[in-house]
Amino acid sequence: MRHPLRALALALALAATPACASLQLGETRIENPLDAARSIDQRAYALLHSYAAIVEEAGDIVRDPAAPLSLKRALGRAERAATPAVEALQISVAAFLRARADYEAATGADQPALTRAANALTIAANRLSEAVAAAERPVGELEALIRRR
Amino acid sequence: MFNLMLQLQMLLAALSAFLPLVPDKLRARAAEILDVAANALAAGAVVAANVDDLAVKLAAVRAEVEAMAAAGRAVTVEELDEALIRVRAASAAFRAALETAEAGAP
Repeated sequence: MRHPLRALALALALAATPACASLQLGETRIENPLDAARSIDQRAYALLHSYAAIVEEAGDIVRDPAAPLSLKRALGRAERAATPAVEALQISVAAFLRARADYEAATGADQPALTRAANALTIAANRLSEAVAAAERPVGELEALIRRR
Repeated sequence: MFNLMLQLQMLLAALSAFLPLVPDKLRARAAEILDVAANALAAGAVVAANVDDLAVKLAAVRAEVEAMAAAGRAVTVEELDEALIRVRAASAAFRAALETAEAGAP
């Protein structure tokens, strides 16, 4: 063969053509469950389950011997940053559900009791809203770390 | 995404089959390059598979929240407890796995 490298390059190009043609780049579509929520408790619920799913996948990466140690450590740092915010969210959402149950129980009670329950529910809703906002960023960073690679 | 990584790995395997055709003096260097690419792809494939799994899980969460929102239903204490149990289990498993990985690190 006079030009073995050229022949090789041509063979490779021909061999790669079907594979390249069938490539569907960016095929994986990642949903954002928070967008589907219509209330603050649904948003918190979506964020908690999303975080659990993200950490489950991060755990699978960390368990894989083929994954680079630098990636595993980066995931560890991101998880340590996100977990306190998610724990605060857990406390806020539990407080919100309690306040909402108290408010529902007070609907048959006298006006001062109902007002107190409504005020408590408003405060709990505001705190929950803040906790959701505070948890979204670190959870998003952990997710981005998984998706970026 | 995982399919893409698989296709690239197959392409790399096909390229490796042509190694004997490479001139002797360049063969070691070509093999080295293919080896580096194979390692990078292996790491990429790990993450790609997990991205696909994550997409499935997040789609399931979204479907559940969509149904909840469509029904105008509030989250119950039981559902919250279930979510918390899942978060704690995932977090504990992740930290244990990271500890094992760190212990096995050179």
